[in-house]
Amino acid sequence: MRWRLWLLMAPALALLLAVFAVPLLHYLWLSTQAQSVLTGLLPEPIGAQQWLRLWNDSRFWQDTWQTLRFSAASVSLEMLLGLAIALLLDQPLRGRGVLRTISLLPWALPTTVMALGWRWIFNDPYGPINRLVAGLGLPAIPFLSNPAITWMAAVGADTWKTTPFVALLLLAGLQAIPADLYEAAALEGATPWQSLRRITLPLLTPYLLIALLFRLAQALGVFDLIQVLTGGGPAGSTESLALYAYLNAMRFLDFGYSATLLLGSFAILLVLCGAAALLWRGNSRLQGALR
Amino acid sequence: MARLLLLLWSLGPMLWQLVSSLRTSDALSGLASGGWTLEHYRQLLQGDPPFLTYLLNSAVVGVCSTALTLALAVPCAYALTRIGRRQARSLTLLVAAAAAFPAVLLFLALLELARDWHLANQLLALSLPYAGLCLPLAILLLQAAFADIPIELEEAALIEGMGLWQRLRWVLLPLLAPAMASSALLVFLFSWNEYPIALTWLSRTELLTLAPAMARIAGSSVYTIPYGAFAAATVLGSAPLIALMLLFQRQIISGLTQGAIKG
Amino acid sequence: MSSSTPAGFMGLELCALSRQVGSHTLVDQLSLQVAPGEILALLGPSGCGKSSTLRLIAGLDRASSGEIRLGGRVITALAPAERQVAMVFQSYALFPHLSVERNLSLGMELRGLAKAEIQHQLEQVLALMQLEGLRQRKPAELSGGQRQRVALARALIRRPALFLLDEPMSNLDAQLRDNLRAELRTLLRSTGVPVVYVTHDQHEAMGLADRIAVLREGRLQQLGTAETLYRDPTNRFVARFLGSPSINLIERGEEQLGLRPELLELAEAGSPVPQGWEALEGELSHREWLGDRVISHVHCPGQASLKVLSREAPADGALQLRWRQAHALRFEARSGKRLPGSGAAHPS
Repeated sequence: MRWRLWLLMAPALALLLAVFAVPLLHYLWLSTQAQSVLTGLLPEPIGAQQWLRLWNDSRFWQDTWQTLRFSAASVSLEMLLGLAIALLLDQPLRGRGVLRTISLLPWALPTTVMALGWRWIFNDPYGPINRLVAGLGLPAIPFLSNPAITWMAAVGADTWKTTPFVALLLLAGLQAIPADLYEAAALEGATPWQSLRRITLPLLTPYLLIALLFRLAQALGVFDLIQVLTGGGPAGSTESLALYAYLNAMRFLDFGYSATLLLGSFAILLVLCGAAALLWRGNSRLQGALR
Repeated sequence: MARLLLLLWSLGPMLWQLVSSLRTSDALSGLASGGWTLEHYRQLLQGDPPFLTYLLNSAVVGVCSTALTLALAVPCAYALTRIGRRQARSLTLLVAAAAAFPAVLLFLALLELARDWHLANQLLALSLPYAGLCLPLAILLLQAAFADIPIELEEAALIEGMGLWQRLRWVLLPLLAPAMASSALLVFLFSWNEYPIALTWLSRTELLTLAPAMARIAGSSVYTIPYGAFAAATVLGSAPLIALMLLFQRQIISGLTQGAIKG
Repeated sequence: MSSSTPAGFMGLELCALSRQVGSHTLVDQLSLQVAPGEILALLGPSGCGKSSTLRLIAGLDRASSGEIRLGGRVITALAPAERQVAMVFQSYALFPHLSVERNLSLGMELRGLAKAEIQHQLEQVLALMQLEGLRQRKPAELSGGQRQRVALARALIRRPALFLLDEPMSNLDAQLRDNLRAELRTLLRSTGVPVVYVTHDQHEAMGLADRIAVLREGRLQQLGTAETLYRDPTNRFVARFLGSPSINLIERGEEQLGLRPELLELAEAGSPVPQGWEALEGELSHREWLGDRVISHVHCPGQASLKVLSREAPADGALQLRWRQAHALRFEARSGKRLPGSGAAHPS
């Protein structure tokens, strides 16, 4: 009986291993090899040199900073906006279902499609925002050509696309909170702010955590959006780690270093998501102790 | 008021694309006012290859990936709910971690796999990595659905003398239909939208799926002032998905929330 | 009933049947027999192993040791389907996506019976269970009682060699339960096969079963008719589990006296105690009116509240509580074991 169950799982587990585990192990090996145009695209063992190169690569560190900046900004924006939208959609308003569906539409669009769309919206000077700005008699905003602004434009586009996902998740969490808790709090004379602070947020914690972890992991691997919206520019100011690894493999044909970069990104992802989970757990335990 | 803002925020950018796609290039660049046209759509549809090819490719890959994912995920999810709590919990945890993993980090190794097995530029072969990447979510969803079916139903079938296949076919799968629909839609959405793997596996223009085709259009300079065409491509590329969303919003939403929560 | 196995016994036999899961013993060395046409109730509190036993008999769980025989054949290792058992689940386990008719016929269809034969059997059982009008309904569109009838019908149509029921009444309201008991008993009897009926409700067990097996922590406490169990329990557990209101336990140092509420009598405080009787002085704490009778709760110093069942209500205040010595069941206080030579002379 037992072996039959394992047999049922075997095909799925095999494919999962092939798609997730094998690549990561392959990178481990590949990151100890030089495999590039210089080696005739054949692997040559070079020990830890790729990792040394990574350590001394200022472009890697710059991209790390840019990826972190992008992730921090977009994930926190998405969480805040997502919570606001979820609270709005949780109200018993007319047309709630329709509104929910419409607000989810941006999430369903292919990232490359919507990135191309945003490129047009951010256009200088013909995009709608800059037309509006020009109508007010102000100078056009160089959304896609000023390093100080472009990364924020990318954050904006990402927020537009992924906030609906966060909102939907949090909405499910809100709807799982029993209504009598609020009624009890109202009987005790709690203000709306107090019941949000004391009931909603604590009970929403697991949902917030799931949304945070999932979004953080996805944001740290940002690729489609950056590649189509900015191509990493201007002057590499929006290049993400994933894009850098992609360029190394597909443009510079330096596979060994690309694998090292991918593993590096994975390590950063692991550390950050792990830290977020631990921090959250410690925090909720602290709150539990205080309460 | 807040609702209006939300509507504007969600729909505004899309409506702008729709309007842009119908304006003449001159109107878009402010050279002339007014001027409506279907020219951009004609250009796209008569391009080489016609834009519909990309949509068709995406649809083929999507359907194939969905079928493959379900075929693998259903037995796996069933076994996970029956194998005993301890093993199931650690496996489920791994699967949940895989569900959140950003797929882009895998592109290089998957590309090498494609080369080794001669899968590059084979449209249907894309279903393999897609199914692999979608399996975690599908398994989590279906596992939760299996767990919701009372075990007595299967035991009653067992006492009736039904074999494993008969129990699945006549008792469990009919009850699993809603969860299967949700997973199928999410897998289809993923395949339709996936970019990095399609980008690296496919190089022949007539095989491109929508996502890399869009990127290629974005990078090309075939169009003199291409934004009208861009917008038209955006509209054509989004329309099937928006239709899908509107038709199956309930299944998609329930799948999305269930998958994330049970994970 | 003899305890030794007659040669060629055609009913159900359990021989030292056990099931362990990890360090947990769910069923412990259970041996019993059920004759064809007999209804045996497995009775006990939740977690006593009665459902585990039923699942072992059905073949849904594997026995750790021991043997199950049905009609003289050892079936311990057979798959559920090969045992020819029918089971009615507590939740009824009707297939929610199928109509009543298909719920009944699916098993036969998959076993490859001829269409005409299926139709014939279907009509028969639908008529028997008065389900003709409901054949196209889905389980969700049925009442609790109708669902139970469909579940019974699905079991009957299998023509089983053994009938198992797992708390089939617990999802019905009390009124319906009382009405259905006799009907169910007749129906189960008519099958002519051994019937094992799991319940935690003593009324149900007493009203339905020919014999009752009381289980506790996986072990058989006592097996016998309802009357034997009530009058002559082997230990304190059985004595307390059967009877409502439950038996009074009077502390006597190392011993406890077990006295049924109807065997206690009330007298005026300080009355002389007749020969062969014993008495306690106490005070009435409150009364429970049952209509034809009344339960008086009496507080006696050093005792838990004692219940007396009588026709007439006593006056408030001090009173005497007495009983025939011969009516008292004596239990060892620590182990709950029944001490020999007690409760022999029991009124009928």
